[in-house]
Amino acid sequence: MKKTVDVSIPLGPMHPCWKEPVRLKCETAGERVLRAEVELGYMKKGIERIMRGRPWQEVMFLAERVCGICSVIHNMVFIETMETISDIAVPPRAAYLRVIANELDRVASHILANFSYCYTIEHETLAMYLLNTREIVLDNLERLTGSRINTAYMIPGGVRFDLLPEDATAMLADLAKVEAEMRRHTRIFETGPLIALRSKGVGVMSREEAIRAHTVGPTARASGVEDCDLRLRHPTYRELGFTQVTRTEGDNFARIMVRFQEIFQSIDLIRKCIDRLPDGPIRGGGLCKAGETSYAGEAPRGELTYSIKTDEYGRVLDIAIRTPSVMNIEACAHSMITDATSIADVTSTFISSDPCIACNER
Amino acid sequence: MSILQDIKNAVRSRSIHVSYVDVGSCNGCDIEVLACLAPRYDIEQYGIYVHNNPREADVLLVIGSVTPQWVDKLRDIWEKIPEPKVAVAIGNCPISGCVYARKGTLTTPPVENYIPIAASVPGCPPRPTEILSAILSVAPLIFKDYEEKQR
Amino acid sequence: MNYLYEKDLRQMKYTILTSTRHDETVHAIARRLGTGDAKLRMVLIRRFDMSLLENLESRWQMGQEHADNGDPVAEGIGYELFTRFIPLVDPEVMQTIYNKMQAMIQEGSAIDEALARGKALVREAVLS
Repeated sequence: MKKTVDVSIPLGPMHPCWKEPVRLKCETAGERVLRAEVELGYMKKGIERIMRGRPWQEVMFLAERVCGICSVIHNMVFIETMETISDIAVPPRAAYLRVIANELDRVASHILANFSYCYTIEHETLAMYLLNTREIVLDNLERLTGSRINTAYMIPGGVRFDLLPEDATAMLADLAKVEAEMRRHTRIFETGPLIALRSKGVGVMSREEAIRAHTVGPTARASGVEDCDLRLRHPTYRELGFTQVTRTEGDNFARIMVRFQEIFQSIDLIRKCIDRLPDGPIRGGGLCKAGETSYAGEAPRGELTYSIKTDEYGRVLDIAIRTPSVMNIEACAHSMITDATSIADVTSTFISSDPCIACNER
Repeated sequence: MSILQDIKNAVRSRSIHVSYVDVGSCNGCDIEVLACLAPRYDIEQYGIYVHNNPREADVLLVIGSVTPQWVDKLRDIWEKIPEPKVAVAIGNCPISGCVYARKGTLTTPPVENYIPIAASVPGCPPRPTEILSAILSVAPLIFKDYEEKQR
Repeated sequence: MNYLYEKDLRQMKYTILTSTRHDETVHAIARRLGTGDAKLRMVLIRRFDMSLLENLESRWQMGQEHADNGDPVAEGIGYELFTRFIPLVDPEVMQTIYNKMQAMIQEGSAIDEALARGKALVREAVLS
């Protein structure tokens, strides 16, 4: 990229605020940040190259290891793509169980994102409260799927484990606890005067910029982009009556608040699922066939697209994954951080867009 | 066995500064290391303090198989940590490359080719409690009587 | 001067550009500009940072949908597409080219002729 001034402040690759290595080179004039450049390559594992030519049984496990934070949705979108290719129907009970696993993962991911933001603006008390609440959510994910992070819960034509009635009761009790705690944390965040000073009006991204860079997920919703939640088009979510959360400010505060609001929405969705859970089998049958398709689902960070081409034995011939972080990090670095008034706001603005470098580079 | 050494041993066993570096994993292990910070596991009761500054760390947690950018930088980070120091590999990736050690990959595992690893915690990802117990059991082994051993 | 920590990123940028979807996008942009794939890839590697390269595909898609709606001259040379969606050309340079084309049309030359001239100028600006 072209340089306008010669003072460039590098942030990273090892930085106390960043969970994953990435390097931001900020060109500054005094305190003002003129532009920022992102240097990646620290997490490039070439997972799409590994996936090529392998049977779906192997690619299924590789797909969740694209990203550990949102592994459930990577699994779900890959499996649903394979089901679309080979016309496999899912039993209704399995479809509801998938939504439960996915929403639990979304709650955990959103809490982690908000934890990182609070940690970055040095509100360590709230950060630790949030991290402790996340453990309860992960306990429930473990209760349902048997694992905390990489769950491998879904398979073509169903899910692996059933939700027992006593587990459902325990899950509902835990969700009530999570909801009560999150109400308190949201109040702390919403009314904190110092948090407002660090967050309101910082890192503003307009609706036009959000559309130009194709931002997705909470980052786009905080800038007032309507109809950008793919859960609105998913058949199971439609049955559950899902509505999108949108805010119009487009600053750091809005992005974090959208996540807080979505956590409550997800908890409501899980409750509805457990309430309406139909009886029946959790696994249908099916055979993976040849075909080519592109399918998208809503990850915690936004729209996740898998384009897969398979042969008649179910081997993946070609695959392209477009993760939400690709768009969000790019928009964050090139429109939110540009013309930031202070270099001190760069880290918090970058974290507020919930960057996931492992997703971004694959 | 000098009195000074005894004091050093006592202090070191209750003050372990941890730094973590992700050299290319799925970040599942990353968030499990972060989960260790949660009050549920309460790592500060053992005297462990997590921050991400290699210059004041005692224990380096290495996560992930090595990606092209880290080939030279990992060694740099290891050299910046003051003695006595220890590196612990978290997860399967630094040991064998896990699912990434296949044909067409861009990673070059294992991490042992770049820096000396004292202990490994296998798992994909390991639980926070396992990471904690690994740090607690390996750190005293290396730090105890460090000056005596140097002679 | 040899900067500490700075590394040659060209190989890694090339790896990003040669994955399936990015390769298709580079091909589409090259066809639109009327240059070769390899030449365009070289320009992209020199001008763009890694995150912009990763996002090339979605920016191109959004550019096709939202850029330059209505004005045939602007659409022909990719007035907004190549300055705001895929920033290959400086906005000032693009404005000069656009003004030149408008002047040609005012003087009475055919739109096709002006467009061909404009496209050649944009290609020159991209490859310079």
